[in-house]
Order: sequence, then structure tokens, then C-alpha cells
Amino acid sequence: MSEQGLQTTTGDRGILLRPTRASLQRFGRQAALVAVIVLVGLFLVGMGHRVGYGAADYLQLLVDGLQIGAVYALVALGFVVVYRVTGVINFAQGAFVMLGPMLTITLFGSLSGSPVFRLVVSALGAVLFVAAVGMAIHRLTLHPARKASALTRIIITVGVYISVQGIALIAWGPRPYVLPAFTTLQMVDRLVEVGSIIIQAQTFWIWGVAVAMLVLLALFFERTVVGKAMRACAVNRIAAQLMGIRVDRMATLAFGLAAVLGAVAGIVLSPATRPTYDMGLELGLKGFVAAIMGGLVSFPGAVVGGIALGILESLWGGVTLAGFKDLFAFLMLILSLLFWPQGILAGKGEGGS
Amino acid sequence: MRKGSPDTWAFAGAVGVVLLLGWLELRRPGGVSIARISGGLLTIDLLIRAGIFTIILVGLNLLMGYAGQVSLGQAAFYGMGAYFSAILTVKAAVLGISPAVARAWWWPWFVMGGAAVLVGVFSFLIGWVILRLRGHYLAMATLGLGIMVYIVLRENLGIPQLNLTGGFDGIVDIPRLHLGAFALWPESRYYFLVWAVALATIVLGLNVVHSPVGRALRAIHGSEAAAESVGIVVPLLKAQIFALSASLASLAGSLYAHFQAAVVPDTFGFVPSLELVVMSAIGGMASIWGAPLGVLAVLLIQELLRTHVLGLIPAVTAEMEPVIFGALLVLIMMFWPGGLVSSRRRRPVWGER
Amino acid sequence: MRTRGIKAAILAATLLVTVPLWAGPARVGTPYKIGFIASITGPGASLGKPERDVARLMQERLNREGGIVGTDGVRHEVQILINDDQSRADTAASLARRLIEQEQVHVLVAGTLSGPSLAMVPIATELRTPMISMASARAIIEDPETKRMRPWIFKPVPENLHSAAKQAEYLKAIGITGVCHLYENTAYGKDTFESAKVEFGKVGIRILYGDSFDRFATEFPQVTRVRASGCKAVVIGSIPPAAAVINVAVAGRVGLRKIVHGHGACSPDLIRTAGAAAEGTVMPCGKILVADQLPATDPVRRVNLELIQEYTRITGGDPISTFAGHAYDALQWALLALREVPDGLPLARVREAVREALEGKIKNYVGTHGVMTLSPEDHLGFNPKDFVIVTVRGGRFVILPREQWK
Repeated sequence: MSEQGLQTTTGDRGILLRPTRASLQRFGRQAALVAVIVLVGLFLVGMGHRVGYGAADYLQLLVDGLQIGAVYALVALGFVVVYRVTGVINFAQGAFVMLGPMLTITLFGSLSGSPVFRLVVSALGAVLFVAAVGMAIHRLTLHPARKASALTRIIITVGVYISVQGIALIAWGPRPYVLPAFTTLQMVDRLVEVGSIIIQAQTFWIWGVAVAMLVLLALFFERTVVGKAMRACAVNRIAAQLMGIRVDRMATLAFGLAAVLGAVAGIVLSPATRPTYDMGLELGLKGFVAAIMGGLVSFPGAVVGGIALGILESLWGGVTLAGFKDLFAFLMLILSLLFWPQGILAGKGEGGS
Repeated sequence: MRKGSPDTWAFAGAVGVVLLLGWLELRRPGGVSIARISGGLLTIDLLIRAGIFTIILVGLNLLMGYAGQVSLGQAAFYGMGAYFSAILTVKAAVLGISPAVARAWWWPWFVMGGAAVLVGVFSFLIGWVILRLRGHYLAMATLGLGIMVYIVLRENLGIPQLNLTGGFDGIVDIPRLHLGAFALWPESRYYFLVWAVALATIVLGLNVVHSPVGRALRAIHGSEAAAESVGIVVPLLKAQIFALSASLASLAGSLYAHFQAAVVPDTFGFVPSLELVVMSAIGGMASIWGAPLGVLAVLLIQELLRTHVLGLIPAVTAEMEPVIFGALLVLIMMFWPGGLVSSRRRRPVWGER
Repeated sequence: MRTRGIKAAILAATLLVTVPLWAGPARVGTPYKIGFIASITGPGASLGKPERDVARLMQERLNREGGIVGTDGVRHEVQILINDDQSRADTAASLARRLIEQEQVHVLVAGTLSGPSLAMVPIATELRTPMISMASARAIIEDPETKRMRPWIFKPVPENLHSAAKQAEYLKAIGITGVCHLYENTAYGKDTFESAKVEFGKVGIRILYGDSFDRFATEFPQVTRVRASGCKAVVIGSIPPAAAVINVAVAGRVGLRKIVHGHGACSPDLIRTAGAAAEGTVMPCGKILVADQLPATDPVRRVNLELIQEYTRITGGDPISTFAGHAYDALQWALLALREVPDGLPLARVREAVREALEGKIKNYVGTHGVMTLSPEDHLGFNPKDFVIVTVRGGRFVILPREQWK
């Protein structure tokens, strides 16, 4: 009754259709979807043509979108991990994204030794610390309130976010910080030219780390006992409990895992940006959007959602005024919700069952 | 409201308190003002803001607490009302409205009412489409809608030549309201207007709740399929209640614009929308009386922190305020998970059944 | 010998007791209150925190000196009430009303950002309280519809129009006729673009491509368009950290084009977070940033060096920023105006007298950004000539004299 798992939520989100009209409506929806895709495509190409874009320019925008999209995907995975086990949308996810790089930078500055050593140790140390913070947050706030409604628990995570960001402001002040690029170990990154496309070396790190995290996550859920137990909680909490799984511990672990995902996302991104105490709000919001686009319970869905969001933003920003970038992202979001109420990968991912 | 019911007594009490505070502020018998007797905590400014938020929250509670439809974009309708009033009074000349009309005392009132109607129609149409979504998906769609409206306001409605919304800087010098030659200003007069509207909204809310519509709303909240089977036209009713809550938010926005005399887009973005939900949850969203209590609780906590607690301890600086506020939010939701006014039967909201 | 010594001692003792009585003013007047509102938390925190630190510094200075002595010889204690508007317009408005009505402040020094400042403008005007803002938008002191000064509102902060004029002067001198303009999508960034359109147009410099970018962006599709447009210089309207991120992106991808920042980038944070990419970039800055390089004849030099010394002490080593300078000037104006007010006036009259003094008595004020003179027609009093063109060389800001423009 209090916390509920996957099955009831997935059943919760269908469009209410009358059976007699179902097939007709499905056809109408598909036609509308095709129309929207064609219109958006035509618009992007038309606007691009107006400013004289060639294929290489579109490719550049695509690569740019894939870079930030991979980060959105990692953040989105954190939302999914927590939601599957606890049924809560964790608005504190953005705090993990901010704490990761801020702690790494502080540790990096206080260590001595070769830069590579310092970077590796400080990044690992930061990720572990943020994981501990994530688990502590669950134990101290959400675990005692586990009987409360989902909305109440979501608002608790909002409160946690406000507090953590406030503490970060006291600890680090409002000024921006720098984490050196992983390749050059300096403030300015190397640029790789592929044909006429320019890619920051850090972008390859972002893609590499994102893929590595996905592989690790898959191995964790498929091959380890704890991972399997966590999946069981996601499918049906009560059954899992009857099987002897400590559901509350799994929930704490899920928060730790989400914190790791958020912190890693923040750390690999930070050489391409300049971390500040308030960077978590924006990235957390975008990660949430990506997770929802992917259906909120599906890991592959979250990844696709993140990448789709990144690319759409980049293309839109590239062909028209950047001020409207988010407008477009959210318009696409609402449309995707209406067309795929089960998420982009409905029926294909684990969550679609 | 039935005669002699607890709601009637509560309402009579509320009217009494509002009149007493207003009389004190207006007359200041023996130099005693409400700020003086409350040690500077309760000011007329705070009471007016509380009244404005109460108007929004009554609508939001009907939507979230009774109909079970979450809105994370309510500040958008608040903003639309505020900007309608601001643009049509300050920028009337740009729009070709004759000065004779724009300077008439009834014009701002006409705009206020017109805005509420227009926003209601707009949200009815939007609601008809997006209210097919449920739970997190509806929350996300409303959040997206809210951010889209915010961007349109910030980006000058996409027509920078006219500079209607003033972009980031917003609109200043919005005129005060008059009834004929009688100015509803200074604040002690405006207070009566705001609270008259707020109390009327509460009566409206209570009547909706106790009418057949209220029962239908609760039926939807319980099970849409069941509601449909007893003859409730679910999509229509949901869109209607969405439109009502949006109209109320628009009305509050107009009152805000004429109160502050200045509007900027940031007041109507994502974070304010989230804050409205927080106020609603703290007050207790399944109750009309939760609206004014949630608003007062949040505003008083903020005011107390800002003017009393932080000032007393020299080492504690302004940076501590968000930290303490976030922690208090967590604690309140942990110990009063249903809000300050919990209904007897807990009605789960958002992703729960 | 001994008696003479005793006599001298008695004389000295008498003097010690009585001199303070002569030197000190005969009367102590009503204490003055300055309401100070900055964006200490929220998106404006990197501007508001240095401003708050300056307010503390000034309070410390006032306490040390025992307040201010008016032109009528009466001594007044001064209290600066520091408040945080959380970078929000509605909070700022509430605070302004509270400070004016409950705390009964004599003057407001309020508003780090343009939004909150504009929200306080109607309140200060209506409640007839002088307000000195620390934000830059022109609309704060001038009604955009009637183009008249708002009688109660002042600000010591130069505008983007001044900055753009200086940029145009520089670009023209080095022979550039077409530029790209990239600005962060904030109130500040948008205003740099609008100002550039006006000022660049006056000297015939065309903006070949202009667009905004997101404050949190990491990739800049705009750079693709910059490359396509063929402009010879890129003008950036942004504040660190965004200014640093886009600086790195443009420097790396567009090759050896000239990068010109606005005065929002005049902060040590630019060099700290853009590193080598900031080398050689050029920007118009207030003199506070390069105070130690000013000639000894420049009166601004001494004021700034004193402020910097105290500021580094009170913040534990923070580098000075232009925002600290704005807060200093705003508070100094308030204090200078309060000195002109005769003692014993009722609150409303004090406020009026402060307003009149701000308009009439702030003449040739030596501030952090230049020498300023206020009048009823000009509530800013900034001379654009006081902006200096600065470049980054060897990891520090260096004045670029006109002879070296190329």
C-alpha cells in the first residue's frame, strides 16, 4: 500500500481508451506522430538552410548533442534506479551531480603527487563520498517516512536538495571552479578534428565513461545477487519481502547507486564546464526529463531519452535562437509523452512488461 | 457550505481574523499595528502575499488533493495573469488601445477578469489533451508546460520588436487599482481586496467539495474506470477543474501585478511552481483549509528565519537560510506526512493507489 | 627641573582629558539606518557575496570611526542592515517594504541584479525613500517610456552602453568592421547585445552574426555559425563561469580571431577558469581591477588600493571584483548624502534631504570606477572615459594603452 513497485505504476499510465475505438485511435495517433516528425524535420532543415548549413554542420551539432546527451543519460539512470525500488522521484539527484565535481576539485587541490594519480584518487574518493551521502540521505529522511505518500516523499527530496545546495554554497562559495581536462590535465582541452568536425577530447571521455557505467550497471543487475535482489524489489516489493529480501536495505543501496551515477556524470562533464554550487538544478531537471521520456522504469529508455534530449536541444539551438532551446525540448517532451505514454522504448525494455 | 457545519464556523473565524487584522492596520488604535504586536513578524506585506497565494492554492488543492491530478506548472498560469494585467495596462499604447480606455478605472478590472477567462479557456484546451496522462507523466507534462510559458514570457513572446513582456527585466510601473475615484491603495486597503477574493475563493472551494462535483472528483481520484461507469464524463470534468485552478491562479497573478507594480519572469518559473506544491503539501492538499494554512506556515517560517533567527546569531549569515529551510521542510514532511490539515481518510496522490 | 616636569605632566594630563571634548562634536544626533539588500544566495550569489562583504567592511569602518560627522558637526551612529533577496524579485520587494516601513531606514542600498532592483523601484518611489541600486540596467534609474530620471533612484554602476561604446572605439581602432556577438541568455547578456547593436552601428561596425547561449551550456553549436560568418572578432557578453567556458570554446575552434569581452568578464574568475584561453582577450573594465597599474596622479588609485587591502583582509584573501566596487560606491554615496542632512529632522524629511543631497551634493566623487558627478538629470554620473581597455597577459589583467591597440 505505501510503497509500490513496478507493476501497478506501469498499469497506471495508459491512455484511457474505449476498446471499440482503440484501433481507430491507434491509427490516428500513428498518423499524427509521422506528421509531427516530418514537420519537425522539415522545420530543422528549413531553418538550417536559411543560415547556410551543410552536412558537416549538422554532424557537428549531432556530435555536440551526443556529448551532453550522454551526461543526461547518466543522470536519468540515477532517477530510474531510485524510482524502480522506492517509487520516488528523487529531486536530490541534482545534488549528487554537483557534489561529485566539487568534491573532486577540492580533493585534487589538497593531494600531492602526479596529476594523473591525484585525478584518479580524488575522483574515486569523491564518488565514494557522494555514494555515502546518498545512502545517508535515504536512511535519515526517506526511510523513516517510508509509510508516507509518494508526493510527500518527493517533497522530502526537494527539501534535501535545497539544504545540500545551501551547504555547498557555504562550503565552496558562489565562485566557479575548474577540473582539468582528463587528456591534457590542464584547463584547456585538446581538440580533435575529424574532417571539418571539431570534438573536445573530453567528449570521448564522457562517452567512454558512460558506456563503461552502462556495462557495469548491466553486470550488476544481471550477475550479482544484490543486483538481482534489487530487480526483484522493483518488480514486486511484497513478493521480494516474502522471499527474504530486505527491501529497505535495497532502497538505501539504490540511493547509493543513484548517487554514484550522478557524481560520475558531474565529474566527467565538469572539465567541459566550470562547476558551481548551483549546477545541480539544471542538470537534475534535464536528467528527470530524459528519464520520463524513457518511461521512468526502463534503463535503456533512460539512455535513449537522454541522448534524444541532448540531440534535439543541440539541433534546435544550432538552427534557431538559443533562447528558445528549452521551449523546444519541453514541447518534444510533452509530445513524446502523448505519443508514447509508456516511454520511448515501451514494450522493448525491461520496464515495459 | 451547510449551516452549522465545522466549515461554516471555520469560515466565520477566518472572516473575523481577516477583519480584525485589517482594522488594526487601517486604524492603528493607540499606535498599535500588527507588526508591532507580532514583534515585526506579521506585516501587511506578508498578509497580502499570503492572500494571493491562498487563491492559487485553493485551486491547486482542488486539482491535486481532490481530483488527484498533479500540476508542477501552476506558476505559469499565475504568470499569465500577472503579465496580462501588466501588458494591457502599461503597454496599452503599443497595442493600439486608446488612452481613454486604458486610463479608465475599470480597465484593469476588465483585464483581470478577461485574463482569468482567457487563461481558463486556454488551460481547458491544454487540459483536454494532457490530462489523459497520469501520475508522473502528467506531472512532467505540466512541468514542461510551465517552463514553456516561462520561456515565452522571458523571450518577449518571440516578437522582440514590440518588447511587450520586457524580457528578463519585466515590466515596471503597473498602476494601482481604483474603484471609481477610490484608490485601493495603500497596502492596508489592498489587503481587504486580496482577502475578500481569497475568502470568496475558499467559499467556492468548499462548495465545490461538498457538491456532486466534489463527489465526482473523488470518484475520479479513486478509479477513473469506475467513475466513467457511473456516468461521469471523466475527461470533461478533469479539464474543467484544471481550467478552474488555472483561472484562480491567473486572478492571483493579476492581483500580484497590481500589488508589486512590477513583474519579472523569474517569479513564474519552475522553482516557484515547485514551491506552490510544497505549500500545498505542507498545508494538506486534501483540504481547502490546508491552502491558507500551508501558505502562512511557509511564509512565516521564511520570515522568521530571515528577520529573527538569522539576525540573533552573529556567526550565522544569510547563506544559512536555505539550509535551515530545506531541513525544516524535510522534518515537517516526515512528521506531518499528510500536511498540517490531514483529512481523515488519506487520499494518496501521484503514483500511488 | 622636577617641578617643571610635574607641571608638564599636569598640563599633559589636562590636555588628554579635555582635548577629546573639543575635538569630538558637541552633540550626538539620531542614529542612521541604511537598508542593504543583496543577492547573497541564488543565481546572483557570485555578485552579491562580494557586495555583502563590502557592507560588512563598511560597518566595521563606521564602528571604528564612531559613525559619521555631519556637515553641521553632529555625530551619528550608522547601522547597515544586511539582507538577502535570494536573487528573487518578489523577495526583494518584500524586504524593501519591510526595511522602509518596519525598520524605518533612511536610505536603501539595494539590488544586486536588475530584476530585483526593478521590483523595488516602485516601492522606494511610492514610499519616498532614496534607493541606490548596485545593478546596471538603465531602466532602474530612468523610466523607459518617458525617458525621465526616477527621482528617488540612483546607481553608481556603468551600463552596457558605455562598455559597448568603448568596445566599438577599440574595434574601430584596430580596423575591424564586422564582428560576431555571443551573449549568455540572461538579463546582462541580452543587454550587452542590444547595447552593441546601438553603439557598434554608430561607428559602422556590423554584427554579422549574433546569438545567445545557455548559461550552463557545455557545447556551443553557435561556434559553427561563427566560423561560417567570416567575422574577424568575436564579442562575448557574459559573466564567469559562462564567460570562461565560451571563451575556451571560441579560442579553440575559431582560431586566431580577436576575442572581446564585456565588462561583466572583468573578474579574476575569468583568468582562473579560462586559463590560457583568456590570454590576449580584451575588455573594457572599471579602474578598480587594475588599480595598482594606474598612475599615481589618478585619484581613483588610492581609493581602490585602500579598499582592496581591507577587502582582502575581511574576506580572507578573496580577489577584488567590480561588484565589490559597486557596493562600495553605493554605500559611500549614502554616507556622503547622510552627512549633508541637518540633525533633528523627522524620518520623512531625512529621506527627502538624502535624496536632495544625492542629486545636488555628489560632485566629483572619487569612486572605484572613476570620478562621478550626480545631478537631477543624471542619477549615474559615470564618464565613459573612465573605462580602461584591459587585456590578459601572463595570467593577470594589464592596462592596454591606446598606443598598443592593434
